[in-house]
Amino acid sequence: MKALAVLLALCACNTPDRRPKGNVAGATPKSGGTLHIATKDQISSLDPTLVYEEVSTYIMQPLFATLVTYAPASRDPGALPPLTVVPDLAERWEITADGLTYRFYLRDKLAYEDGGPIVAGDFKYSLERALSRADSPYRGFLVDIVGATEVTEATPDCAGIVAVSARELEIRLIHPSSSFLYILAMKFATPQRGSWAKPRLENGQLRREPLASGPFKLGAPWDEGTKIVLVKNEHYWAAASTYLAAIEMRENIPRDTQFLMFERGELDTAEKLSPPDYVWLKGDKDWERYVRQTAQMVVFGARMDTNQEPFTDPRVRRALNYALDKDHTVKLLNGAAVPSHGMLSPGMLGRDATLGAYPHDPEKARALLMQAGYGTRFGFAPLELTYVTQNDEQAETLAGAMQADLAEVGVTLKIELVSFATLSTMTGSSDRPKFSLTSWVGDYPDPTNFLDVRFHSRAIADETATNDTNYSNPEVDALLDAARGEIDTEKRAVMYRRAERIIFHDAPWIFDYHPLTTEVIQPYVGGYEIHPIWGRDYTHTFLDDGTTSTVPP
Amino acid sequence: MIRLVARRIGWALVVIWFVVTATFLLATRLPSNPAKTMLGPHADAAAIKLVEDEYQLRENVLVQYGTWVKKVATGDLGKSYRSQSPIMQILGERIWPTIQLALAAIFLQLLIGLPLGILAAVRKRRWPDRATTVVTLLAQSAPQFLLGTLVLYVFAYRFGWFPISGYGDGGLDRLWHLVLPAFTLASVGIAYYARAVRSEMVDVLGEDYIRTARAKGLPERTVIGKHALRNALGPLVTLVGLDLGVLLGGAVVVESIFAWPGLGREVLQAVLDVDLPLITGTVLVAAIAIAVANLLVDLLLLWLDPRLRDR
Repeated sequence: MKALAVLLALCACNTPDRRPKGNVAGATPKSGGTLHIATKDQISSLDPTLVYEEVSTYIMQPLFATLVTYAPASRDPGALPPLTVVPDLAERWEITADGLTYRFYLRDKLAYEDGGPIVAGDFKYSLERALSRADSPYRGFLVDIVGATEVTEATPDCAGIVAVSARELEIRLIHPSSSFLYILAMKFATPQRGSWAKPRLENGQLRREPLASGPFKLGAPWDEGTKIVLVKNEHYWAAASTYLAAIEMRENIPRDTQFLMFERGELDTAEKLSPPDYVWLKGDKDWERYVRQTAQMVVFGARMDTNQEPFTDPRVRRALNYALDKDHTVKLLNGAAVPSHGMLSPGMLGRDATLGAYPHDPEKARALLMQAGYGTRFGFAPLELTYVTQNDEQAETLAGAMQADLAEVGVTLKIELVSFATLSTMTGSSDRPKFSLTSWVGDYPDPTNFLDVRFHSRAIADETATNDTNYSNPEVDALLDAARGEIDTEKRAVMYRRAERIIFHDAPWIFDYHPLTTEVIQPYVGGYEIHPIWGRDYTHTFLDDGTTSTVPP
Repeated sequence: MIRLVARRIGWALVVIWFVVTATFLLATRLPSNPAKTMLGPHADAAAIKLVEDEYQLRENVLVQYGTWVKKVATGDLGKSYRSQSPIMQILGERIWPTIQLALAAIFLQLLIGLPLGILAAVRKRRWPDRATTVVTLLAQSAPQFLLGTLVLYVFAYRFGWFPISGYGDGGLDRLWHLVLPAFTLASVGIAYYARAVRSEMVDVLGEDYIRTARAKGLPERTVIGKHALRNALGPLVTLVGLDLGVLLGGAVVVESIFAWPGLGREVLQAVLDVDLPLITGTVLVAAIAIAVANLLVDLLLLWLDPRLRDR
């Protein structure tokens, strides 16, 4: 008992100092030091051709460079910053007037981490690997290239990808593509040296032994599931603007633990803060300026199968959009979200900012439901729905809020919880549920990666549908097709805004919200903003903690 | 005796086979398509078919099972759907952290549980006994996620005596990282051991031979340590053996809280990803651990108590 009392007393006395500690980073970058970060997930692989999930992107970004990339993030909370494509390994490129041929000119003396040259043929090899591997998630991104559909594992040569010389790469397309440069900025399009990859593919070690072409390389064998250490790659062409000497990322650290480690100074940043930590930081005047918050190319909502009753009637779908209180959703997410009126995130090309989300209007919802023949009075049929959602805390909370909102307009909602893997399989199969949680994470900042994939009738299929609402509107199809082939950005924007309006009115989803990503950094971390594409991009980050030195001019 | 041992080994094999087969059949019934999980949302039907063919996902469950059994017989447990790593390699990497954690937990259970139990028995119905009852009851009823978070908060975050999480870099650093997860994992065991030892000791201390020993004028320490304790330890052997088996299967909650890279955390990830080869692989290890531990306990008891051999 005495021991317990002593322990409690010690606890009470030992209140840690929770104010920001250490030097405040100046504007001038400093060089050196190790950045300590963590993630709650586990990296699945370091093979850029096969890996397709968020946490591995954190590591793909520093390891692998591409022909073109995005300009670094700038501070613009709440909306996407302009995501400009800039040269990386290619110093310039030419696109023919018909938009069909791309010619890239590589920088002089490009090298991998081992000093070996990066040549045009290495890009051909990696793109053909993505096309020929049955288990590559990226095949679908390259189908616009001439000869891409004929590529198989046995015949990997793609006629449309030509290494003209060691420093010139030509890619020919079947039809113009407004998003092709974005696709080449994805990490699977990084150069890979065949003589490095082939023996490692045979012994299964390519997933652990990457040959870096980016600003960092592996500093030690990857301690899988525990930690990965990257060190600066001096052979990267822009090594002079990489300031950190090393990045150490711990895996599988729960987010609450991450925050405790952050507070004790064991981590330099903490991501995906839990609601109590986030609210505390935002409310603390000392910490507030170290919280980074950025819109991501992500949208959440509820999909309704337009082929199944009662969702065949657009009035029902609109009614549910009016019934859901999106401001309440944002409150439940502690303000870390923006209400949505469609798939496109704030700041994205083609998003109609004047549209605004469906207002919370239960009266209107009830009226629309009655017009469609549903209601709780006057002999109308009562509407009962089953909503399938994910069995995580956030999704459950939001489903509960939706249940209450729908009850207010006389709709009884039954909630069914399943795992993420089960939910994605269910919605992708022919006997998909008619009403379920849906979301979309963009691969690149172009409406083709959102509207074409989820609302074009071409994407309707029995087993592999990405248009899982069976939504089909010829006018939307025509607008999306025309915009896809158009090169003039302003004309495209007009067409997408028109398509967005029609989709908004047809309401195949209950459009709910765009989440904001939050991260807190230590005061001595400089040059860091969350990147909407890469998430965590520490390429230009520096530490100003007294151990680092001023960058030589 | 040899026939008895052979029979026990036979039963252990049957149990392992049954558990793993049941897991395999249940896991294949889960509504999830690994090909889609692997290929992401942009995959076309042709790509999905290629992957499904490679992993035999379109085959009948019994055909899949037959292939799996054939592979297992050659020591090949397949590849993880998620990471594409061979399951044997994953298990090989994960088993050592789990063994360390399990042994450390058993050590703490004995180190703390045993003396507590003896103390409670010797001071029966006095304050040490009552305090032990309260503490063990609390330890038994506190869920591990709560106790784990609590010790992490108090001893790692507030006092900074131990690292908040992780596996450490080997040697003393590893030991230092091991303390909090091992203590959390051991908490329930400590309570069980203390209660089991107490109850056995109380019984034994009432036996005639203890009275004889005391009447002979033996010092109390000898009476307790040599005569009473030895006879009270029988059930503890069973407890330790079974615990070791269970702990070697992985500690899901504790490993997740403390980011300990063992089998338990791998099981959790495998279930969330519906990664069938990894689920069956980890269950296989757990089943073997429990079956082997049971077998060893049986053999040890046979050796300790010759009367059992005739049954």
